[in-house]
Parts: sequence; structure tokens; C-alpha cells
Amino acid sequence: MASDDLVRVVVDQELCIGGGICEMLEPEVFKLDDDIVISSVISDGLLPRDRAAVAVDRCPGQAIAIVEGKA
Amino acid sequence: MRSTADMAPPSAAAVDTPNVTDPSLYLEGIPHDRFAQIRATPGLAWHPYEDGGFWAVTRHAEVRHVSRNPELFSSAIGHTNLWDLEADALEARRSLIDTDAPDHTRLRRLVAGAFTPKNIRRWEETVRAITGELLDEFVAQDGGDWVDMVAAPLPIQVILTMLGVPTDDADYLVELSNYLVEGTGDAQSIPPDAFGNTTELRLLPFNSPASHALFEYGEGMRQQRQNDLRDDLVSHLVQAESDVERMSRNEYRNMFHLLVFAGNETTRTAISHGGMALAAFPDEWGRVLADPGLIDSAAEEVLRWATPVMHMRRTATTDTELAGTPIAEGDKVVMWYASANRDEAVFEDPFRFDVSRANSDHFAFGGGGPHLCLGAFLARLEVTVLLEEMAKRSICLEQTSEPVRARSNFVHGVLSVGMRPAGGSN
Ligand code: SF4
Repeated sequence: MASDDLVRVVVDQELCIGGGICEMLEPEVFKLDDDIVISSVISDGLLPRDRAAVAVDRCPGQAIAIVEGKA
Repeated sequence: MRSTADMAPPSAAAVDTPNVTDPSLYLEGIPHDRFAQIRATPGLAWHPYEDGGFWAVTRHAEVRHVSRNPELFSSAIGHTNLWDLEADALEARRSLIDTDAPDHTRLRRLVAGAFTPKNIRRWEETVRAITGELLDEFVAQDGGDWVDMVAAPLPIQVILTMLGVPTDDADYLVELSNYLVEGTGDAQSIPPDAFGNTTELRLLPFNSPASHALFEYGEGMRQQRQNDLRDDLVSHLVQAESDVERMSRNEYRNMFHLLVFAGNETTRTAISHGGMALAAFPDEWGRVLADPGLIDSAAEEVLRWATPVMHMRRTATTDTELAGTPIAEGDKVVMWYASANRDEAVFEDPFRFDVSRANSDHFAFGGGGPHLCLGAFLARLEVTVLLEEMAKRSICLEQTSEPVRARSNFVHGVLSVGMRPAGGSN
């Protein structure tokens, strides 16, 4: 499977600890709400697989997941 | 749960585990040869400690596993330092560090917003101005104690500015932090009733009367801000504390304590070791001066090199297994970041200070997972700006005295080290 395959990412808001690393990595996809300090997906959530994997790996809350299946 | 009867070393390898906890070892620096020996031993090493012991996790991959599996390895049970606390002490001292979800998540979100990469970037000019002033003074005085002149004042002034605490009190708060560092070792230089303390030491963070003084200071700030909310971090916490669902009074005081202590002591340590590394490896610093494009990787290398916090402990919530070694529910599991950051399986030639090192997956901020250092982006900013401002002034460092190191197996502190600006453009 090519690494530029698009996959969909989601944020588990229970787990998010609000550090905003996702937003730094992928500002088009993630946005941290300034008041509740919880991240959410603001786009269709599609990212190339390798970049999605970096976001999953760097998220300290382990709150980001890749949803498998055709987008 | 391991019964007292099996408190004997659970594996044969344990007998040979070299001691890495004696605080006096650290007066000579991290006992890297001992960690290398533990890393090279297959499985996990059981390290005796007080009446029991702990699993010494020393390799990068396994530190990462423990750090990223908080449901298996709890921060809330026992303590995050090597020794256990009694239940009342654990409760009194509970902070972001010693909680699991959901308490950890609730407390973390109260402060996380101030430390996001985006919001930290807003402090860049403040950090740059403070750094520039300190460096200019260091050069004007032809050097002196690097800790006193640069490493300590930079982070304390920045964190106090963010908190809204008067920077005039920086020296006092650094003094308290120094006593707290002592408290992480085995030799405190102040009596239990110092600073008017009447609380039993076991109830205070780092068993230090200086914690009482820091609590008092935080309480003073809380009372001041209560009727005079401003756009600062203390006001933000005071607002949260007014709603007990969000934060209790005890949580406020421990949060204030943590922000002041961790916000200054750790980056001070990074800058202290960073200065020593630049002096010890002048060719590496020369490469940065010749190519400022190396500043980011040099800053990461300073962080790896320094490892300001040398370990954190977790406690197994269930029977599990790591590196082929069974771990019993209730066992202490200690992540030695100081060792993982020199793991030869991950970092090529790990004892070389390499400003262009491609792998920046160091554990200066912990091994990932929810307890990732809250101040990671602030520390990065401070170290990066320091290197930039030094490069701008072409400051090279020459070490003029041996460092005086903290007697602690927990913080990699440097109390003083003489430095002189060498070379330079003028
Ligand atoms: S990186 Fe993870 S924990 Fe941090 S804000 Fe994004 S989703 Fe939340």
C-alpha cells in the first residue's frame, strides 16, 4: 500500500490532554478549542497514511486514531 | 501482588544489578557505565531498594512501552519517586505528576492551553529579550558562574512572567528550588522548621520545608489574584479553583508548586549541561556557528545530553510482562530516561555530542504518553533562543571550573560551573 494513501483520523475527546501537538503538525485537520482545551477534527479528517501515523505517534493523550476502511 | 515473602530478587540476574540509586554517585555525574551494563543484560534487571526493589527499565524501547501504557503502569499508586508514600502523604502531595486519567486529564487541561506550541511561540520575544540581557551581562563580566548568570535566571524569569509572579522574587524562588533539589537526595541542609514550617515533612513534596514556603507563596498569589484577575496563568488557575469540580484548593497549591519548580529547575539543568557540552565540544559548536541551520538539531541534542529528569517510577496495575520478564501487580517499574538517552541501539555513538544528530527521539521530556512534559515546547524555545542569541554574538564557552553537581538520583542538577566567553567577534 502506498504511503500517500489517504486515511481518516479521529480524536477521542475523553483522552485528549490538550497539548496541541496535533494542531502544530496538521493545522488543516486538527484544531484545539481554546476554552475547553480539547482537540477536534475540523476537516474531512483525511491525511496521507504516513502523516496520520506521525500524528498518532506524537499525540501524548493517545487520543488520535486512524479509522480503517475506504474513506 | 508480590507478597513480602517473595521480596527477594525475583530473578537470578538481579544479584548482579549495579547500584544506580545511591545519590552520592551522581556527584560525579550519571553512572553511565553502570547503566550500560544493565542495558546490555537481557530481560529486566531487578534493583534492590530499601526493603524491596524495582524493575530497572533502561532501554529506550522498554521505557517507551512503560510510558505509553498508563493503564498497565500507574502514576497514581504508591508514588512516582522510588519510595512509597503513605496514603495521606500521597493525597496531600498529589499533582499532575502523580495522577492517572481521569484526574490527570482534568488537571492537565487546566494548564495545557498555556503550553501549546502555538501559545508558547507568543513568548518568543520575551524569551529573546531576557536571554540577550543575560548574555550581554555574562560577556561584560567576562564570565562567572554559568548557572547563576544564565542557566538559572532565564527559565525562572520566563515562567514567573507567564504565571504573573513578580520577577523580583526570582532569586527567592530559585533558592527554594535549590532546597527542593536537595530534598530529592539524601542530605537536606535546612532544618524541618525552616521557613516557619510546622507540617510533617513526609506530607510535603520532596520532604522539604521549602515546599511549605512555596505553598505559602502560592497562597499569597491566590489571594492577590482572587479580587484582581489578570491575563496570567495564576489568575487562570484561581478562576478554575473557584469551581471545586475543576480544581480543589489542594490541587491549586500543588499545581503552583509544580509550575514554579518544574518550570525553572529542569530547563536550568538543560542549559547548565548545554553550556558544559558546548565548552567540551568546541568543534560541534563551531559547526553551529558556521551553519545556523543546525540550531534546531543542536537544541534537541542539548536536551538529550542533559536529561534533566533522570527517571520516573510507575507501579504495575496488573500482572504483565516486559522484555520477556514477568512483572507482578504492585511492582515498582522505574523508567531511567538517563539511560534510554544513551541507548546504543537507538542513538549512534550515544556518548558523542552531535549537533546534527538526525534522531531526536530522546526522552528528555519523558517517553511519551499522557505525562509528556507539560513544558516541553517552552523548554525547547528557551534552549533554541539561547543558542541563537549565543550564535548571533559568536559566544564560545570555555569552562573554568569543575561543576558542582546535585546529590540526587532524580534531577540531573548542576549547582554551579564556571564559564568564560571565549573567541567571539570582538
Ligand atoms: S496531540 Fe493528542 S492530546 Fe494533544 S491536543 Fe491533539 S489530540 Fe489532544
